[in-house]
Amino acid sequence: MLTADGLMVFYENMLALNNISLRCDEGQVVGVFGANSAGKSTLMYTLSGIILDIRHKEKMRGGERISLFGDVHYRGEAIGELKANQRARRGIVLCPERRRLFPESSVLENLKIGAYLASRDEARETLGYVLELFPPLKKLLKRAAGFLSGGEQQMVAIGRALMAQPKLLLLDEPLLGLAPSVQQVVVEAIPVIRDQRGISVIVTEQYARPVMPHVDYAYILENGSTVLEGTRDELLDNPDVKSAYFGC
Amino acid sequence: MAQARRKERIDRGIKVRSDSIYALSSWEEIAYLLGPRALLIGGFLLLPVVLLPSPYWSRVALSVCVVALLAVSFDFLANFVGLVSLGGAFFYGIGGYMAAVASTELGLPPVVAIPAGTVLGAAVCTLLLVPCLPLRGIYFAIITLMYPLFMTRLIEATEILGGTEGFRGITGFSSRWTEQYGLIVVTLAGVFALRRFLAEDAGLVIRAVKDNDQAVRASGINVTWTKAKAVFVAALFGCFAGAYYVHMYRNVGISSFALDLSIMPIAATVIGGSGTLVGPLIGALLLVPLSELLRDFGSLRIVVYALVLTGFVVLQSEGLMNFATRKYQQFERWVRV
Repeated sequence: MLTADGLMVFYENMLALNNISLRCDEGQVVGVFGANSAGKSTLMYTLSGIILDIRHKEKMRGGERISLFGDVHYRGEAIGELKANQRARRGIVLCPERRRLFPESSVLENLKIGAYLASRDEARETLGYVLELFPPLKKLLKRAAGFLSGGEQQMVAIGRALMAQPKLLLLDEPLLGLAPSVQQVVVEAIPVIRDQRGISVIVTEQYARPVMPHVDYAYILENGSTVLEGTRDELLDNPDVKSAYFGC
Repeated sequence: MAQARRKERIDRGIKVRSDSIYALSSWEEIAYLLGPRALLIGGFLLLPVVLLPSPYWSRVALSVCVVALLAVSFDFLANFVGLVSLGGAFFYGIGGYMAAVASTELGLPPVVAIPAGTVLGAAVCTLLLVPCLPLRGIYFAIITLMYPLFMTRLIEATEILGGTEGFRGITGFSSRWTEQYGLIVVTLAGVFALRRFLAEDAGLVIRAVKDNDQAVRASGINVTWTKAKAVFVAALFGCFAGAYYVHMYRNVGISSFALDLSIMPIAATVIGGSGTLVGPLIGALLLVPLSELLRDFGSLRIVVYALVLTGFVVLQSEGLMNFATRKYQQFERWVRV
């Protein structure tokens, strides 16, 4: 469904992504794990096209020069030069790190904003689905999103991404700053979304432990390079992964 | 992939070598460091001599300094304190009127009247602006835009401060040279002093307020008080420009609060490069003579510099100074990825 070949991203002279190749098949959940500075967020920006926008802004204000190399193909189409909004139209939707909700809008408004690309019927149907997926949101629809707890905000962010009718959902650090019990709620929604909506998911996380059981295939990044990749079972059996991410 | 190349930016060797003061070991390095400063200072100091044959252009050179002072004040407030001021004219006018009162009513000579007008004017401006300092957002911009209009109408309607006539018969300068060098030296000294001030601890706090005022507050620093001090510093620049100009033309009127005086400095800052302090100086040096050359076109010249301004914002929003600094300090080369 989505393949990335030899992605390289330079922030000025610093190499943020070094020759990353990644593949996500239809109906797969793909995990990307790594510590801070591994390049997870840059990878998500590159796949979603946000990086083109960042590059333009930096250029205009005379900041860092961002150089991009490599190809991204989505359903047989080269999308490396497409802007983020064009990619979203094709079904690649990013749920950004730190959620980036519209803090002064209500939860309902946040979800509706997400549905800009959807038809009226789709929006109504998806809204019902999101509330079913995250029941706590039902009572919060009128509340300003900025005043919700971290877990609730994350639910809204995922819901907002779903409203855009994605075919491929990019989740950037969905567990950031969440309590373990809330992490479980969010993580368990991922396979549900995949099974019920047929949406493929690429999820990045620092915490492999809660997410790993739900992915089909995973990549482990370190300093911008893929150091390990494999199916869930291969990685769970790997002694390096065990010691680094599971502490045993 | 084999042929993929990217452009790399690397600091010049001489920049790296002369970055640390201990490493200065040759005239070349000293020249590299001092060259641009010397060029700027020397260039400004030579202006009165070069323009000696033409009194008109000498006056234009002083207008450059006035706009430069207002632009530096705008740049300082906008890019170091985080307050967008649309009221350069307010500082300018208050400083001008203060100096005019000091000169005509109290009979003070320029040497006293100008500093007095500057400091008192800055104090008045700061006091009037303090109420909106605790607020974030566009309130400061709105208030500073309104004050000059408010002052104009107030003076017109109540006939205070000489009414529409203004003040005349202000004592002038003793000679042409004092007049010119006084302003040029203070402008240059002011810019470099402000740069030094921002590099000190006090400047660090001010810049921190711009980045994250909540974190500054959490460190136990009074943000409003810090902003008030910064506004006072910025107002000093604007009020000095006004006070000096009033003494040059020996009269003052409500045109001191004209919108032009708020807009020109902003344009100069954008052209010269925001956040550089020296950039606005260079912007003023380009923009003011340009606007004088276009004087024949009447009000059409506003169109021209609106176009220049728009062009810079769209095509070169970093401004000349940032661009030049980068070229001076770094070189580029193609490298294989």
